[in-house]
Amino acid sequence: MSAASSIPTAPGMPATVPPPAPGTPLAATDLLALVVERFPSATRDAADHWDLTIIVSAEQLRDAVLFLRDDRRLQMAMLLDIAGVDYLAYPGHRRARFAVIYLFKSLVHGHRVKLKVEVDEESPELPSIHDLYKIADWSERETWDQIGVVFRGHPNLKRLLNHHEFIGHPLRKDYPCQKRQKLSVNDPMLDELELRLRQLGYTVLSEGALHSMPTGLPTGAVDGVGDRGQIDPDLVQGSNAGADQRGVL
Amino acid sequence: MKVLTPQGDHLELLTVNMGPSHPATHGTLRVFTALDGETIVAAMCEMGYLHRGFEKMSEQGTYTMVLPFTDRLNYCSAMMNNIGFCKAVEKMFAVTVPERCVVLRVILSELSRIIDHLVCVGANLVDLGALTNFWYFFNPRESVYKIWEKLCGARLTNTVTRIGGFYRDTYPGFEDDVRKVLVEIEGAIKDVRGLIEHNKIFLDRTRDVCVVSKEDAISWGWTGPCLRASGVDHDLRKQEPYYGYDTYQFDTVIGSTGDTYDRIMVRIFEMLESTSIVRQALDRFKPGPLNTADARLSLPDRNRVYHDMEALINSFKLIYEGVRPPAGECYDATEAANGELGYLIVSDGGTNPYRIKVRPPCFTQFAAFGPMIEGTMVADAFGSLGSINIIAGELDR
Repeated sequence: MSAASSIPTAPGMPATVPPPAPGTPLAATDLLALVVERFPSATRDAADHWDLTIIVSAEQLRDAVLFLRDDRRLQMAMLLDIAGVDYLAYPGHRRARFAVIYLFKSLVHGHRVKLKVEVDEESPELPSIHDLYKIADWSERETWDQIGVVFRGHPNLKRLLNHHEFIGHPLRKDYPCQKRQKLSVNDPMLDELELRLRQLGYTVLSEGALHSMPTGLPTGAVDGVGDRGQIDPDLVQGSNAGADQRGVL
Repeated sequence: MKVLTPQGDHLELLTVNMGPSHPATHGTLRVFTALDGETIVAAMCEMGYLHRGFEKMSEQGTYTMVLPFTDRLNYCSAMMNNIGFCKAVEKMFAVTVPERCVVLRVILSELSRIIDHLVCVGANLVDLGALTNFWYFFNPRESVYKIWEKLCGARLTNTVTRIGGFYRDTYPGFEDDVRKVLVEIEGAIKDVRGLIEHNKIFLDRTRDVCVVSKEDAISWGWTGPCLRASGVDHDLRKQEPYYGYDTYQFDTVIGSTGDTYDRIMVRIFEMLESTSIVRQALDRFKPGPLNTADARLSLPDRNRVYHDMEALINSFKLIYEGVRPPAGECYDATEAANGELGYLIVSDGGTNPYRIKVRPPCFTQFAAFGPMIEGTMVADAFGSLGSINIIAGELDR
């Protein structure tokens, strides 16, 4: 803790850092200096007393991620996770309501860094990095689902953990923990499959019949089964081919 | 579904749902595929069928109350989740646990890694039609669960660690039981290797099937045995050693092609490395204090509680309020059986976690599953689903 708190946060310090040999991680000070040299407005996040978190703006995000990934002194080839945080109930918090934290690691050198981007409540939007790291596709979907930050340019920003009929974002602090929702009809996913086929170079001429629709519990049905002992008949009638089999619920 | 292929031919594709309730998915996963005959042309994965809101639930109670939830992440190696979470909270306190605690955590972690791999490989071989191996592997697994029962009274979801130490010390004869089970595990591995290593059906079904290149594995954020099967030398126990792993003699097991065969074999040989680590740890397992003496984390001795006012207050505060890590944001990771298990903890200095984000290792592996199986046969897709070891508990949280 003591070593980390001595890291300078002032921009503009000289960064004459040579590329480290493979297997030797850059010190947090050097890593911060490199990023600050390239993005002078980047600052060290004081909330992370243990490791290095760097705050960048939403406009800088894609450039900063590319810099981390491609600079030969950094080579952060791995995006470990994307985490969204809602600071609505955080005591004494005066900054933007949301933050999205990107966790990076370099396999060549072994150093880690977290990028933090603050996101306003009025326009919770960030540019997508799904084209820079393959895993970002799903991680961004999860962050949107849970916190409600929109990733501009994402090809398929659907919910990931929650059912597609779910309303709201459960990890926002104003989402009541005990709130229940009625979710019934499975996502047919034909749109996603057609999107994928088009990506692979196929042209979809006509939709066929769906075979073997899932018959299990609808997604998200684990909580509040008592509320929903009976499936709403309107929902069953208006749904797709497999709906009759779900009567067993 | 009628489509035009990239070459301009007309083709009728059959759309088929695999899962979410299918024995071969080993959990509630859904893979929606477009098939040309038995070949998968396109596949989309859906998850969330086991989503219980782990992260939201964690915000409702104290840090200690999160522990039983972590058991239910990767329930095949529940202790490793306990240990990873406790290690993250201890990092926030800058507390190091006593040597006996560290060694016991290494022993339990490595045994958990072994039983996790036993389930993964055993069930994977069942997917390929080789049922005998499953029984060979489940016998030693059962013996490990017997040790767990004697250790803490629970089999699958143990909640055995506490922040700052353990729920309780081991029982007399623990070391002998562990040494005995190691021999049993090595015997089972020898039996299974004898059945599969020169088995033409097994080799044909797994070699060069669902190959994931080094570059793809890294871009998908793979960690653990699956990343190593693709030929990347990366293991947190080696690269960012914790709990003294750098003082143990063991090798990182690395594959060459990244196919189903490599993913199975990496796990089998990792079990042998783990048995070696457990033996070394048992030699270091000496009597001593098990829990940290730090009063912010550990309950005082019961005798003191009844005679000493300060100890009584300490006990009362810890039971009713729990631990209070300093305000801030901390990420910590351990090498779990499936890969890097990370906890990002945001603390506001209070008794409840403000936010906990889990980085489940199999999330990144399942994200890659769709593109991975495109172009292969349906039967091979399920052979390879077993090899990436998706545990719905930690995937969906």
